[in-house]
Amino acid sequence: MAGDVSLTREPVLPPAIGASEMDSLLDRAPCGFISFADNGELRAINATLLDLLGYSRADLVGRHVETILNVGSRIFYQTHLFPLLKLHGRAEEVFLLLRGKNGEDVGALANAVRRERGDEWITDCVLMRVVERRKFEDALLRAKKVAEEASDEAHARRREAEEANELLERQAVELELSQQQLLEQAEELETQSEALRAVNDELVARTDELQRLRTLAEDANRAKSAFLAVMSHELRTPLNAIGGYVQLLEMGIHGPVTDAMSEALGRISRSQRHLLRLINDVLNLARIEAGRVDYDLETFAIPEVVSAVLPMVEPQLTARRLRYTVNVAHDARVYADREKVQQILLNLLSNATKFTPSGGVVSVDAHVNGDRLVSVQVRDSGVGIAPDHLEHVFEPFVQVDVSHTRRAEGTGLGLAISRDLARGMGGDLSAESQVGSGSTFTLTLPRTA
Amino acid sequence: MATNVLARNNVKVFGRGTQPMLFAHGFGCDQNMWRFVTPAFERDYRIVLFDYVGSGKSDLTAYDATRYATLDGYAEDVLDVCRALDLSDVIFVGHSVSSMVGVIAANEEPDRFSRLILVGPSPRYINDGPDYVGGFERADIEGLLETMEKNYIGWANFLAPAVMKNPERPELSQELEASFCSTDPVIARRFAEATFFADNRADLPAVRVPSLIMQCSDDMIAPLAVGDYLNRTLPGSTLIVLSATGHCPHLSHPDETIRVIQEYLAVSPASPTAELTAHGG
Repeated sequence: MAGDVSLTREPVLPPAIGASEMDSLLDRAPCGFISFADNGELRAINATLLDLLGYSRADLVGRHVETILNVGSRIFYQTHLFPLLKLHGRAEEVFLLLRGKNGEDVGALANAVRRERGDEWITDCVLMRVVERRKFEDALLRAKKVAEEASDEAHARRREAEEANELLERQAVELELSQQQLLEQAEELETQSEALRAVNDELVARTDELQRLRTLAEDANRAKSAFLAVMSHELRTPLNAIGGYVQLLEMGIHGPVTDAMSEALGRISRSQRHLLRLINDVLNLARIEAGRVDYDLETFAIPEVVSAVLPMVEPQLTARRLRYTVNVAHDARVYADREKVQQILLNLLSNATKFTPSGGVVSVDAHVNGDRLVSVQVRDSGVGIAPDHLEHVFEPFVQVDVSHTRRAEGTGLGLAISRDLARGMGGDLSAESQVGSGSTFTLTLPRTA
Repeated sequence: MATNVLARNNVKVFGRGTQPMLFAHGFGCDQNMWRFVTPAFERDYRIVLFDYVGSGKSDLTAYDATRYATLDGYAEDVLDVCRALDLSDVIFVGHSVSSMVGVIAANEEPDRFSRLILVGPSPRYINDGPDYVGGFERADIEGLLETMEKNYIGWANFLAPAVMKNPERPELSQELEASFCSTDPVIARRFAEATFFADNRADLPAVRVPSLIMQCSDDMIAPLAVGDYLNRTLPGSTLIVLSATGHCPHLSHPDETIRVIQEYLAVSPASPTAELTAHGG
């Protein structure tokens, strides 16, 4: 109804507004207005804006538009707004911070258009003061920032939690595995422990058994030695009697002696002497093994002993047409029992003489062997000893070859006694040999200065 | 890879010459900044335009916050484009921050460049002690960051749809240019920080490529003192103070900008032989 009425009524037009009045309205419009050239030179600025910034028109007309911007907005004008106007011809809703004459900044939204007016390009720009809006935007930005930070924080926390959780899970799995391994190891240890106990029991049992056997062996050995000593004494008495009576018979005290009788008596005498020597050796060995030998230890030079022994074997060497060489270091001094060393050397030289064929060579060498030992070597050029026999030559009653026994006299106890004596003085006796090129017996003795 | 770079940096190549002129835009806009200048060089040079990753119509998905945290990452963009097109004997024209990007690139691969043309350059925007006037205090830059933040609130709303710009059909551009200064607000802020907090003074003495410093007579972003400093510190540099004011002479005074560049290239022919002579010894 009301619409019908208005349609029929003549419109009442307001009076036309002239250009000058329009200018005055623009001057006092409730927003700022400026015009500036491409070079930034301000051409117009309305009263509203002058009042807002505290300038007079004369302060600003002809000045650069940057004059009413704060520094950050000046940069923004140069890098963003000017290119935008130049290339696009317009800019809308651009936020700028205006700088008042007193240095205070005022936020404003700008709408601008660049167009040709007269013979130049002019930008017209309205500036709407934003106070509440700016507070609102600031609050929004702050809220956004807080939300973003909270989100980042939450994200980081969550990631941390996830990582911690993963770590815990991994650790749990590892723990489970470790526990299982520990259980398995414990079981294995138990098994091993049982096995060890069994082995230990057996070892203890064996040690006991060994101890028992050792005691038995030692007892038996002592008994054997005692027996041998007694027996030797008992055997020597009748043998001495046999020797004495043979001598009496040879002397013809019981009547004349024929050649045949004399020969028979010689054989009896030789057999008696061999038997007596054998018994003496057995007695010696028994004494040594029974630990009944005393060593009279002193310091002496090996050359002295060699000089004493050589004359004893020289006749045999000459008889068998053997050459001999002696090479003894003068500083070869030992701490040992002189008599026993002499006995050992005599035994070694006798053996060398016995087992070296005519025309062969026997040599004696003595030298210092390091700080602690002196080595005395007796070398022959005899038949030598096979490797499988070499290890047995120091056992009692052993000679290298049965065939030699017939040719070489001896009891087979000499080397056993010699080694025992050498060891009894802190030395040793060893042998090296090659079949066909002779043997070397090495006596080592403790060295002294 | 080469194809990727060309799409990534929205590379445009045109012109009838053979020697490349590579134009690098500054902070705030994109390759469109060069539109009033490039036509004058099309006849004699091969024009190469591009947008840095994060600007213009570049591929925003290629943006890497670590790479572009300093100007070195932007220099890598320049070298990537050079490698993708196999450019040599390059006349590099850089505006504003791109001047220092060009300095970094030229120090990395000096043989690739024949001339550096630096439009409104500054090696450091913030004043440093009594001896160096950059023109700004740190608080001023914070103010810029605030202004930008406010504007990207609105601008984010009119990001134009990603339609390829077509320089050969300028009538298309009018509508699309609404977004040419718009970009991702986070990226824009980082670019501003990389630009205005940079200090490339130490890179200057190492430069072996001859350079032209184009200093505007009244540029609040690069004051006259900065031009003098550069001229003293850059070996083989020529300083020309333009009658143009402001920070974008290629936009505001394209004719003078073109003339100064042409005269420099004519007086100092940008060929490798000339360079050897200039540095002979």
